[in-house]
Amino acid sequence: MTKDRAASILFFLTGIYGFYFSVQLPMGRWNEPGPGVFPITLSILLLISGIAWFIVGKRGGAEKNQAEKASRRDVVKALATPLKIVGITALLIVVFNRAGYLVASTLYIFILLFWVSRYRIVVSLLLALSIGIGSWYFFQKILSVQLPKGLLFM
Amino acid sequence: MDVFSNLAQGFQTALSLQNVYLCFIGCLWGTMVGVLPGIGPLAGITLLIPATFGLDATGAIIMLAGIYYGAMYGGSTTSILMNVPGESASVVTCIDGYQMTLKGRGGAALFISAWGSFLGGTLSIIGLMLLAPTLADFAMKFGPPEMFAVLLVAFVLLGSLGSGSFFRTMPMVFIGLLVGTIGMDPLTGSLRFTHNVPDLYDGIGLLPVAMGAMGVGEILIATEESLLRIIHKVKLRELLPTRDELRASWGPIFRGSGIGFVIGLLPGSAHVLSSFVSYMAEKRLAKRPEEFGSGRIEGVAGPETANNAASGSAMIPFLSLGIPTGPAPAVMMIALLIHGIAPGPLFISKNPHVFWGLIASMYLGNVMLIILNLPLVGIFISLLRIPFRILFPVILLICLVGTYSVNTSTFELAVLLLFGVLGYFIRKMKYDMAPLILAMIIGPTMELSLRQALMRSDGSFSIFWESPITMILIGVSLLLLVWNVYRGIRPTKASWEKALEEGK
Repeated sequence: MTKDRAASILFFLTGIYGFYFSVQLPMGRWNEPGPGVFPITLSILLLISGIAWFIVGKRGGAEKNQAEKASRRDVVKALATPLKIVGITALLIVVFNRAGYLVASTLYIFILLFWVSRYRIVVSLLLALSIGIGSWYFFQKILSVQLPKGLLFM
Repeated sequence: MDVFSNLAQGFQTALSLQNVYLCFIGCLWGTMVGVLPGIGPLAGITLLIPATFGLDATGAIIMLAGIYYGAMYGGSTTSILMNVPGESASVVTCIDGYQMTLKGRGGAALFISAWGSFLGGTLSIIGLMLLAPTLADFAMKFGPPEMFAVLLVAFVLLGSLGSGSFFRTMPMVFIGLLVGTIGMDPLTGSLRFTHNVPDLYDGIGLLPVAMGAMGVGEILIATEESLLRIIHKVKLRELLPTRDELRASWGPIFRGSGIGFVIGLLPGSAHVLSSFVSYMAEKRLAKRPEEFGSGRIEGVAGPETANNAASGSAMIPFLSLGIPTGPAPAVMMIALLIHGIAPGPLFISKNPHVFWGLIASMYLGNVMLIILNLPLVGIFISLLRIPFRILFPVILLICLVGTYSVNTSTFELAVLLLFGVLGYFIRKMKYDMAPLILAMIIGPTMELSLRQALMRSDGSFSIFWESPITMILIGVSLLLLVWNVYRGIRPTKASWEKALEEGK
């Protein structure tokens, strides 16, 4: 699949989503346009964009895009690191309030350094502790940012 | 004379001990975020927003603006010494700047870049000082139809000046506008796309979207690439350019100032575009254009001046019309709103101390930046010795805390991550996220203006060609639309357009 085709699917699906929920909103009249008019217009424009890019993307792909079509293995390899980071960040968001900033951020940095950056466990731990405590002091004490206290009540 | 007396009052405000300190902190932090690849002015500004809560609006905007133009100065350092753009506007500086470093002229490139940034920045502040109050006075006459027409021009320009083609940019604009409709409708109170989630009732916040798309998305892309980088050392005595280099730089610096100032007024990735246009202009004007790419000082002087001039003029539509032209000015607008001040036509007349204090601080900030960026360049370069393997978790943490700190909401962290993933894929597909963010900010005002105008005219579209202002603006947007469609389907493109697409 070419990049333009992938983008066209994103536009089309967003357009479908927008259209489906916009038609449920009041449309009003020309002298008093309702809340549905603007979103439905945009959804239609997105649907048109999606269809147009799907057609153009197909043509472009047939003509020139051998280089653009990376092998499946390359794609998976390239995606591995970003996927790990997204997963770890999602986990941080889930535990952020309950664990508190100090614990959550230290764990977050540790997992990233150990699993993604491939530092040794001791180095990762030391770096994570310094960054976690240092950033907590910087944000909480110097910038007066309100951070969740969580387990350590700090 | 009015301008000078206002400016004198502005200097009184800016030269208070607290504001000088805030300006310095902003410039220092801006240079640091500009130097470090992966953290741009957007993340830099967002992170310091909570630190402004205890300040007055003048102090807050002085510090945040310092970060914005400071990042433009800092961005060139990594481009010249490492071939890695610290900031997106410095992409084009890599071409000749790094070649100069390889020839042992990196110091001279840094000097000319800082000097050009200083001149471009200062000239654009003069333009901002003269133009913004006039534009604001003119915009006072605007009602909903005029505002709609201005925004229509802005959107068509956004399509034509984005870093991709018009047909690539417009779908991103439509998505941004659609995202901007999420939440409670301001006229009827109907809930749109909220799916009974209370966190969505006020709409999706700009900060998590912008930080996710530009900050987290950028990191996800960067972690795919090799993280090993070579840093070249520069000694202080190597900073002095030769007489020939100085002579060759004057023209590009002044042309870059003009190009940057004009492009900075337009919505889109103005500072990125201005540096590309300036580079192509210098190449075209050069006696030996084939030498560009092998270390020409003109290839550094023009673009670096242009992106600084653009950052100054980008403040004009933001302060006098309330229309931010890029993600960073949009975040500054949010910071002002948090302090109870709404940028727009009434901003300057209602808050002269804030506006003139800001202007005066920008003169001051430019002087601070040239001092920070020349003799102290070695200190900033030492920041680059931190391995990216350590730096990226810290940058992610900064994005997360910056987002959380504004509303202490984990829902916004989820939005940040979602838009980070979206930004990653969008960039992979060679589309630009900046139009989406801008459309999301300006969209609600555009929709409101359209609906108010139609209500006022009892449903008649003739309201849009009743006043000369709307007629001209709608005519301009139609002409631009036709030109864009033609440009999108014609086979040949201008050299700067090709360069911009290759650079992306």
